Order: sequence, then structure tokens, then C-alpha cells
Amino acid sequence: MNDKIKPAHQVGPVSAFFIPQVMQIGIGYLSFQQIITKYSQQDAWLASLISGALSLGILWVVLRLLENERQFGMPDLFSIHTRIFGRRIGTILNLFTVTHVLLFAIMSLRSYIEIVHVWVFPQMSMFLFSLIFCLIAWYIVSGGMRTIAGVCLLSFIYLVPLSILTLFIVPHAQFENLLPLVDHSPAALLKSCYELTHVYLGFELLLYVYPFISNPREARKWAFRSALTTVYFYTTTLILAIAYFSQGELQNTIWPTVAYWKSVRFPLVEHIDIIAIVLLLWATIPKVCLCSWIIARAVKFTVPKIKMKYSLIVILALMIAGTTMIHSGLQVKRLNDVYATYGVLIIYIYLPILLFCQWIKKKRGRSAAS
Amino acid sequence: MKQKAVLIAPLIAILFLSGCLPTSIIDDVLLVEAEGVDYLGNEKVMGTITMPNYVENPNPGSAGAGLPTTASMLRHLSGVTYDGKSLVDRFQQSGQMPIRVGKIRLMLFNTAMAKKGLYKQIDLRNRDPDSPRDMNFAVVEGSCRKLLTSADYQTQIPVARYIQDMIEQNTEQNYPESTMESFMYAYYGDYMDPFLPIIRKQGDHIAMHGLALFKNDKYVMRLSENRVFTFKMLFQKFNQGVYDYEFAPNKHIAFKNVHTDVNYKVKNGNSAAPDIYASVNVSAQVRQAYPKSLSKASSPVMEKKLNRHMAKQSAQLVRRFQRKGIDPLQLGQHVRSYTRNFDGKSWPERYANARFHCKVDVTIKQTGISE
Repeated sequence: MNDKIKPAHQVGPVSAFFIPQVMQIGIGYLSFQQIITKYSQQDAWLASLISGALSLGILWVVLRLLENERQFGMPDLFSIHTRIFGRRIGTILNLFTVTHVLLFAIMSLRSYIEIVHVWVFPQMSMFLFSLIFCLIAWYIVSGGMRTIAGVCLLSFIYLVPLSILTLFIVPHAQFENLLPLVDHSPAALLKSCYELTHVYLGFELLLYVYPFISNPREARKWAFRSALTTVYFYTTTLILAIAYFSQGELQNTIWPTVAYWKSVRFPLVEHIDIIAIVLLLWATIPKVCLCSWIIARAVKFTVPKIKMKYSLIVILALMIAGTTMIHSGLQVKRLNDVYATYGVLIIYIYLPILLFCQWIKKKRGRSAAS
Repeated sequence: MKQKAVLIAPLIAILFLSGCLPTSIIDDVLLVEAEGVDYLGNEKVMGTITMPNYVENPNPGSAGAGLPTTASMLRHLSGVTYDGKSLVDRFQQSGQMPIRVGKIRLMLFNTAMAKKGLYKQIDLRNRDPDSPRDMNFAVVEGSCRKLLTSADYQTQIPVARYIQDMIEQNTEQNYPESTMESFMYAYYGDYMDPFLPIIRKQGDHIAMHGLALFKNDKYVMRLSENRVFTFKMLFQKFNQGVYDYEFAPNKHIAFKNVHTDVNYKVKNGNSAAPDIYASVNVSAQVRQAYPKSLSKASSPVMEKKLNRHMAKQSAQLVRRFQRKGIDPLQLGQHVRSYTRNFDGKSWPERYANARFHCKVDVTIKQTGISE
């Protein structure tokens, strides 16, 4: 397992842009405005900037962790865990982080189904949809990392029209709503920041993908560009939401982004919102693919005997089961909360601690050698 | 190869099996285009829905294809139900084909309904994922049912599209925007009240008839047609409106505004009597004037007159709103925007005492092609 990844299996450095980007932008994009403005009303965009800056900081931590690890073997989270904490504790920690990845996949898939149920097909069978979905995921993941990166690129391209659709509401926006600037206490802003972290989650998956990206020096730059693009994307969407809705209405709207789409009018295509929701399928496919690939790799790392080909099927079956077990919108919301808290715990608390541990280990190693 | 077939076969089977979701094919459903609600009293309403009729006239081109050319589909349904009931569900039992809300264009309320309060109807619309946010709401003077079901209009296009076209072209001129989007904005927003256009049937056609101003969800005040320009001038940036000014008895001058913008400033927003300053710039193009009343040389005089007149009218308008306790101009929102730590709780009382200062600056760009 400590071999280097063959260049034939590696992807170009630009993938470090597309992969985290696509992981970050998902179903949360449809609804994040309402939750965030609850605490800091017109200043929520500031919270978005702060959260974005924090996510850039954590990205730095992630890349630092990986680069420090390169000299000891494979630069990914699994190797870091086992090297620093030993085989047994390392495996437990792997389980701890990989559970979050599994939760991420289930959450993305289930939230997408939820959206389709509410807006397009209330009768759609959850089981059959997730089955077909996971078959697609199986097909893509069987193609290996390069195929997954390709799907991420496609997803990015397909989602560009959706962000352009948002421009249609600019003429209806009243930017006066953003005033007075910075009229909220730091506590309210922090609360909003906390609510926002879960929409910025996803870039940390670089921890698992990194060894597959060639030319790390370039890749790091692309990773930062990706995080910056996400910050820009979410902040502009948020500013538009504040300007387009009155605060009372925003608190009343569960999916503000879909409400934007509902007010777009084309002469022939009357319901742009439905088309946009169907297109959003492309935001979910790469997530489920990458997550199941990561989990399959984790299984292979722990028990090298099991081939990824076989574990993948079990993992996808697990995802289908997990998805169909969640019945109501309320449960989706609760799961989302669990996922968000878990994510905050990992990103803002666990990763910095890990970097610290790595540093200690390095110090000790050096003092032992001298 | 065999392995692949084993995998692909169930996939195809699943795709076909799960494709069996209920469909709504446009030829096989009745697509509701307009809903009208007349209040009957005692929480009962008379609901009316209209559907477009795609095969009204014999079509010489459709030889044998589709429906027989003499066929006519159900065009409207009405009946009594309770306030807040989804009309589509109510009339499903009388539907020739499934009735669906695809792209509803219009929602009408008669004055009694609007005076009684629309909160149930608004909730119904806001909850429904199918209703588009660009649909139009309007208050009808008279009966919605009569307006929607009359067959004596000059135009042949379905009445819902007729009314929507009329409202839309008017909102590009004198009337302020009044789609579901802007109504919900003001209805759910704090420190503001919504408004809707009033329409009524006049013989063989329909006409706009001023604005209905709401206090929360209740219609409390009517703004007559000649005040609508002033209202829109204070409400938003616009052009293409026409204003008619009677500067002396039976002597009129009418101008079209090339451009109008409005700026608000607020002082002492948290005091008992906030000062609201509105400054309006109007670029006007004179369309019509009393003979010999206006020339290039005398236009500054007329401008001054207009400035004074429009400022006075604006102040009067706002005073009327304050007396009624309604805020369709969203002045409260302006005060909130320009005041730090805005005190929202006491705003309703302070609004009544707010001092509104209006400065209008009319520029007559041209006076026509003759002296």
C-alpha cells in the first residue's frame, strides 16, 4: 500500500480545482440563504465571507498535513493516521473520518430525492431512484479515479448554466436591503458562520484524493482557487437573496434559490425551476461517486485482501439502505444537522489537532535521531 | 459479454418499471390559467377557474389529426366552497380531464374578498410549488366570476391571457409592478404593505382602475388612477409613464417620462418623528399641451409649477397613507436601511408621526416638434 500511485492513474493538477469545487456546491445551495439570515439578517454575507476565509485556512491545514506526510509515504489521511497513532488507533480514526464521508454521500443523495419529491415527482420511488443512481455510481467508480475526476469536470460545466440563471433576478433586487452594513453583534455573525460551515464542507475530501493528483505544487494553487471560487459563488448568491427577498419572506421560503428560478420567465420554457432541479442531479453524481471510492479505498487500506471491486458493491448497497431508511423531510433535516456538526468537529477541531500531533511526532523523531 | 448482459438487463428493466410515474400531457389535462375568488360572506366563497381552449375554432389544416375540429373543451368552472380551499381540488370532480396547475397566470379577488382579508389565499399560493412567481394578482371591482366567464369580449384569446397582457403592459408604464413576487415581498416583509391593481369589466372589455392598497392582507384604500403616476414615481425608478397635469381649469399638459428616479434619505430614524427625504428627478417629454401654453422659452416656468404641484401631491399621498396606517411605499424599509440599530417595535406608532419631505425636479427635455 505504500507504493507510489502510478502516473497512469493520476489526474492533472487542475482536478484539484474541480474536485473540491464540485464537492462543495450541492443541494445546500438551494436552501442555505434562509438558515443563515435567521441570525444576522442583512449582514449574513459577512458571515459567508468569514466562513469562506476560515475554509481557506483549513484548506491550508489540509495541504500542510499532506505535504508533511509526503516524505513518509503516501500523502493521504489513512497513512497519516496509522503513522502517527499506530495501526490500531489509526484504524479507529479512519473509521471516524470515513463515517463522515459516508454520511456526506447519503445526505447528498437523500436531499436530492427530497427536492425531487417536493418539486417535481411526489410519487417517485426512493428505492428505485437510489438503485439506478448507485448503478451509475458503480459504473463511474469502476473506471477509477480518472473517470471520477472527469465526472467532476462535467458536473462543473453542467452547473454553470444554473449559476447564470441567478442573474435573471438581478433587475428585481433591491440592494438597499443590504443596509445598514454591519449592524449585528459578533455573536450573531458567529452563529451564522456556524450554520454556514456545512455548505462549505466537502473540500476536505482532498485529504483522500491528494496522492492521485500529479504535480502537487500546481495542484495546491488550484485548490486555493477552487475554495476562493466557492466563497465568491456563495457570497454573491447570498447577497442576491438578501436583496431580492424581504427578510420576512426569506424566513418563509425554504428553498430561496428555487424561488429565483420560479420567477424566471421564458416564452416557451415555462417552468425553468423543474429543468434546473433535474440538472442538479449532476451536482449529486460526483459526490456519491467520490465518496464511495474513498470508502472503498479505506476498506482496501484496512484489509488489503478485499478488492475495491467487491467492497464497492457493499458500500453502494449500504448507501441505498441508508437513503431509503430516511422517510420524512424532518429526518432529512435532522440528518443534515448531525452531518453539519460532525463536519465542523472534524474540520475545525480535529484537523488542526492532527496537524499539531504530526508536528509533535516530527519533533520527537528528530530528537530521537540526534 | 454474458456478464455485461446480466448486468444491463436488470438495469433496463428497472428503467422501464420506474418510468411509470403519473404524467401530465398537455393535451390530456385541463391546465388552469386563472382563478377568481368572490366572497359570499360567512367564510364562503364562489370560486371560478378558467382553462384555455385549444380547439375553439374549426381548424382547416388539421385534417383528421388530433381532436375533431368541432370539439370544445371545458372552459370554466365555478362553485361555492370555503375560503382558502384549493380550487383545483374543489373542481376535480367536475373536470372533463384531470385539472392541473401548470402555469397559472392570474389570481383574482373581488373587493369584498380583499376587504375581508387574503391571508388564507396567500398561504395557499405560497405553499404550492407549481405556482410561478411571475403570476399576476389583481382585485376585481364587481364579480370575478362574471369577469372570467363572460363570452362577450372583443378579443378571442382566453381571458386569463388577455388580463395578464393588459396588466403587464400597464406595469411597464404607469402602474407599479404587481406580480406574486412583489406582493409576497411586501406582504411578508416588515415595515411595508402590499398593493394590487384594480381591474373591472367595462362593457365588452376590461380596464385598469387604480390601485388597491392593503393593510397586511386587508384591502383598505383605493388609489385613483390619476394618482398612480405619483405613487409609482415615489415607489421605483421607471420610464414610459404618462402624467396629465391640469395647470388651470380645463387647461392640461401631459408629459411622458423619459426617465424617473427616486432617492430616499432618512434622518433621526429612531426618534419619535423621523425625517424622510425623498428627492425625485423626472425627465419629461411633453406629449400634449394646451395651445400656446408652452414653448421652449416658457418651459422653465412650467417646470417650476410642475415641481411644486408634484411635491405637494406626493406629500398629500403620504399623509393619507399615514392616516390609514399603511405603508405601500415601503418608507419603513427605507428608514430601516438608513438607521443603525433600527427600533422596529415602535415603528408603527412612529410612522404616523414621520415627517415626509419631498423634492421633485422635473426637467422638460423637449416640447414637441412645433412651437
